[in-house]
Amino acid sequence: MSALNVYVTDGVIVEEHVVFSLADLCRACDAAPEQLLELVSEGLLEPQGSSPDEWRFSGSALLRTRTAMRLAGDLALSPAGVALVMDLLDEIASLRARLRS
Amino acid sequence: MEFKDYYAALGVERTASQDEIKRAYRKLARKYHPDVSKEANAEARFKEVAEAHEALIDPERRAAYDAIGQRQERGQPFEPPPGWDSGFEFSGRGDGGMPGGGNADFSDFFSSLFGRAGMGERANRASPFPSGSPMPAQGRDHHAKVVIDLLDAYRGAQRTITLRVPVTDAQGHTTLQERRLDVNIPKGIRPGQHLRLNGQGAAGQGGAPAGDLYLEIQFQADPKFRVEGSDLYLDLPVAPWEAALGATLTIPTPEGDVQLSVPAGSTQGRKLRLKGRGLPGKQPGDLYAVLGIVQPAAVSEQATAAYRTFAQAFPDFTPRKELEA
Repeated sequence: MSALNVYVTDGVIVEEHVVFSLADLCRACDAAPEQLLELVSEGLLEPQGSSPDEWRFSGSALLRTRTAMRLAGDLALSPAGVALVMDLLDEIASLRARLRS
Repeated sequence: MEFKDYYAALGVERTASQDEIKRAYRKLARKYHPDVSKEANAEARFKEVAEAHEALIDPERRAAYDAIGQRQERGQPFEPPPGWDSGFEFSGRGDGGMPGGGNADFSDFFSSLFGRAGMGERANRASPFPSGSPMPAQGRDHHAKVVIDLLDAYRGAQRTITLRVPVTDAQGHTTLQERRLDVNIPKGIRPGQHLRLNGQGAAGQGGAPAGDLYLEIQFQADPKFRVEGSDLYLDLPVAPWEAALGATLTIPTPEGDVQLSVPAGSTQGRKLRLKGRGLPGKQPGDLYAVLGIVQPAAVSEQATAAYRTFAQAFPDFTPRKELEA
């Protein structure tokens, strides 16, 4: 194995500073546009903009989309199933947070 | 390299039908999927289960695996095929990420039986063009995880991460390249946030730019503080008299000790807020000290006497009022 050392200073915090177009988000999540269209139809993702070309997703869409893709792929869930699971996961997370504090 | 018992991983008999294998996999996949499961080693268990399923669900693979299994039973230890290059591993996660972050990082045992082609489609997508100039295509984005301490989030930190990335050349040979990156972890980063490092993903083809690298930041569990978003929670034990009469206490924060006034008449579970002492940032979070009243045991005569006097001072105290109603 050869070693390539690359010195990098800073990255940008995605959740605070990044806005994704549909194409950007597809590439970041290794997804096809049709798959992201499904997630938007299910209300899992809520981009700004009126048409897919104009959609702008906030940085928080990255984690949400990757989780949705993993659930759909690993557990053979339909888009509606994924949406339900993620709603329930959100609810569980907020219940756990209330329990802890 | 150790033989892996895929039937045991799925909890099925060696005579299980394809349906039984699929069913066992589905149940366990739901149970241990890392996005869904809070079990201790969910991710490791999930990988085992997924790999076992990949091996057994295809009849040809299952037959090949069973043949090896029979040799195992006759006491012939498993040996990888000749020419197996164990330096050529796709290691699992940790600080190095698989491109695309997919669940395609199966074990050496699996790869030695079924080859790299056994991996999920995603890992094999970037097929090279045999000759001439490849179509311009932007490189794929990569994902990796970085674990930091709470203090790193307060002060910022530098982390060196090592990625092992398969690189395919124009002749179709794939080699593993190791890349080390020194990354600045910015002050005030929150758990679960991602850093994007532009151009640090897969190389582009045909002159197109490289993809990006996304680092997911995870916090190591801190022994004292719980992190919720940008707020911190500290469990603060106090004596009954401190809660009842009030007290000034010294408490730890990630940046050093501070004084905290516990107001008189505090009760169990009261949250005292230290504004702005949570994770730093444009809108810094808060630190909450959560009171837990702990009482000393009546181990000496003096203590027992003290408790009796204490009780006598509150003749009208009815702790079980609600039960009696």
